[in-house]
Amino acid sequence: MTAIPAAAAGSGANGGPDAGAGGALSLRGLGKRFPGVVALDGVSLEITAGEMHALAGENGAGKSSLIRLLAGIHRPDDGEMRLDGVPYAPTAPIDAIRAGVRVVHQELNLLPALSVAENLLFERLPRRGGGFLDRRRMDEEARALLARVGLDAVSPRTPVEQLGIAQRQLLEIARALRGEGRVLILDEPTATLTPREAGRLFEQIHALKARGMTMIYVSHHLGEIFSLCDRVSVLRNGRLVSTERTVDTDPPSLVRAMIGRTLAQQAPVSGATLGAEALRVRSLLPRNAPPDGRIDFSLRYGEILGIAGLVGAGRTEVLRAIFGADGERPGTIERDGRPVRIRAPRDATRAGIGLLTEDRKAEGLVLPMSSAVNTTLGALKRVANGGFLRPRAEADACRRYAAELATRLSGPHQPAVELSGGNQQKIVLAKWLFAEARVLMLDEPTRGIDVGAKAEIYALLGRLAAEGRAILVVSSELPELMHLCDRVLVLSRGHLAGKVARADFSEERILALAYSRFMRQAAS
Amino acid sequence: MPDALTAAPPAIRWRRSRLLLRDAGIGIALLAMVLFFALAAPDFLSGANVGNILTQITINLILATGMTFAILVGGIDLSVGAVMALCAVVAGTVMKGDGLSEPLAVFLGIAASLAVGAVAGALNGFVSSFWSIPSFIVTLGMLNVARGSALEVTGARTIYDFPDSFIAFGTATLFGLPLMFLLALLLLLVGWVVLTRTVFGRMIYAIGNNDEAVRLSGHRPFTTKVAAFTVTGLCVGIAAIVYVTRLSIANPILGVGFELNAIAAVIIGGTSLSGGRGSLVGTLLGAVIIGVLSNGLILMGVTDFIRQIITGLVIIGAVILDSYRARLSRAA
Repeated sequence: MTAIPAAAAGSGANGGPDAGAGGALSLRGLGKRFPGVVALDGVSLEITAGEMHALAGENGAGKSSLIRLLAGIHRPDDGEMRLDGVPYAPTAPIDAIRAGVRVVHQELNLLPALSVAENLLFERLPRRGGGFLDRRRMDEEARALLARVGLDAVSPRTPVEQLGIAQRQLLEIARALRGEGRVLILDEPTATLTPREAGRLFEQIHALKARGMTMIYVSHHLGEIFSLCDRVSVLRNGRLVSTERTVDTDPPSLVRAMIGRTLAQQAPVSGATLGAEALRVRSLLPRNAPPDGRIDFSLRYGEILGIAGLVGAGRTEVLRAIFGADGERPGTIERDGRPVRIRAPRDATRAGIGLLTEDRKAEGLVLPMSSAVNTTLGALKRVANGGFLRPRAEADACRRYAAELATRLSGPHQPAVELSGGNQQKIVLAKWLFAEARVLMLDEPTRGIDVGAKAEIYALLGRLAAEGRAILVVSSELPELMHLCDRVLVLSRGHLAGKVARADFSEERILALAYSRFMRQAAS
Repeated sequence: MPDALTAAPPAIRWRRSRLLLRDAGIGIALLAMVLFFALAAPDFLSGANVGNILTQITINLILATGMTFAILVGGIDLSVGAVMALCAVVAGTVMKGDGLSEPLAVFLGIAASLAVGAVAGALNGFVSSFWSIPSFIVTLGMLNVARGSALEVTGARTIYDFPDSFIAFGTATLFGLPLMFLLALLLLLVGWVVLTRTVFGRMIYAIGNNDEAVRLSGHRPFTTKVAAFTVTGLCVGIAAIVYVTRLSIANPILGVGFELNAIAAVIIGGTSLSGGRGSLVGTLLGAVIIGVLSNGLILMGVTDFIRQIITGLVIIGAVILDSYRARLSRAA
């Protein structure tokens, strides 16, 4: 690698934390085991100072485990780590921070009720004598850090709970930029960002790179890896499969390395014969929608209809409005040609509508409870007799749907929390199939699910549609929607910007519609 | 696929047995305690003393049974002691009503107690879930409302001189065991069946774990929450009757601090304060542990003050133990 422009610019005075000297990481034979799982197995990796190194791999491949070792959250069972030639063995996150290894975690670790400045500087609050906070210095330092991530417009005194999720993500990064950083680890930093926000983040990443900060970048987005990173390492089942310069490889070979096989050319999932109209929505006004953002569309049995749009376009709100999750909303909803009044989710489920929420863990599953409990939760009457549950009927239902959906579980009693993301999603799907929902609405059905399981979910949705169910899918991944759907509705800032039929599918066209409301805004 | 489903891998089987062991921990602790007192205090295992213990824990057992419902659904009820006083004085007032035949008076008294308890519980549940207020706060308010009402109803006086047939219940025995204890045990058994075998019980556990997921599965958690708190209140009404029949008095200041004993029994029994995890079997063991501890220490001549200190330490110890159990099941 090229020489490091060490600490070329900035200093503590403007709050400009910078790459300290070095940042070369050497990992040798790292191993980490958890009960029943080998998370990491003999991982050896040299990361050069000033390099931007990507980590790729399916969920459960060991990326997160590796990061936890580097961050001092877990300790390795085998092997050793060196930072600039010196043994590096953090026993707690504070050790990692002191050594200049900073992690921006996927989960947001912010304190919602405290101010932006307090969150940014929490690890070492500027103080005056006698334990009093130095508010002026706090504001100054915070402002400088905010500027580094392009959040100049945010006041340091704003409570964090008033910020959007994307701003919070940038705040996490700003926090990690404070102090003498040697290695910055970014774990899926763009997962919650819109393309524009991601672009702003990339600018900051480029700036950091130019100053010689060593960075480890974890992302599912291969595009980001190839445009940002110098080298990429692929993990699979806890082992390091390959390390290559990004200029020497391409996305297909990377995917091959990740899954250990070639993804077959994906045939379109949709295309079942369409039946009668299952659902019609007339001038529906979802929550948080602009007053003239009325939604009209219809969905037929056998059809997979997608909803595309940027983050914040109001896609989830459309599903929640149909499902009654935000109470009764203005507009009419017709099921099988008859108007139904939906005031709460129970009205929707009675009308045969099911919703698989984006946040499986918080809204879709009762995690600590068994797979059987979760499978039958939507239709307890079917496994009860006069108010008494029939355990065998429950277990049978769970087994039947597990077999049908190829859910991998040890048995009906296995708690949902122990299942992988893909299998959890199948349990939620089983819940709605068991409740005999004929209209299925799925919000980001493959978020946090690894590549192999995604393909399974796609095939499953195709089958469910072919069996005559009506399916409505929200997704942020255009290729996913184009692969799955017969038609795509595109939302832009709460407005229905257009409908695109399969024959006219193209990323350009859908994106143009998704941005349409922003263009108009800019023009006026 | 079906084969893969039924055959649990060894790791899972091992985990299950470990979980079982974990839950048996309370039972083992109780056995150890009994053994210790049997050696330290010679009279501890005598028939008379065992009867004493059972009589002493009866009321707490009934209250703790009800409390388990409130805690499992994700709430708590701080008002049970005060509501119990209100139930008792209302029952007492009704029973002493003019011109009632004895059986009718007793019947109406019992009915009044149950009704007052159920209404107070339903109000707790309604207010806390309708306005999404922590039940901790709502029931703290109810505690004062009920205590004040009890004092107002009686003019702060004690009611006594109850019908003999009613008082007889308090000391009656069946198969050599106190009748009231058997009643409490029966109540607990019914509660256990409800919690583990019925749709209502399933909803309680599910809501205690994740009420949003339950709502989005097409249910109304509100109804279940109100019902769970109503069960808690109903148990308070029953406990009040047991109290009056045993002590032959009803006064407005009875039951002070009983809520804490009931909560302690539930927590020692391993039920999670955050809801959704625990069982009435644990509650039974918890109530017995508190009773045995208290009785054994008295027999050993330990003073009231020291006894209170030890009981407090046991509660804290149980919660520490529970934090390990939670960690264990996460790791499993």
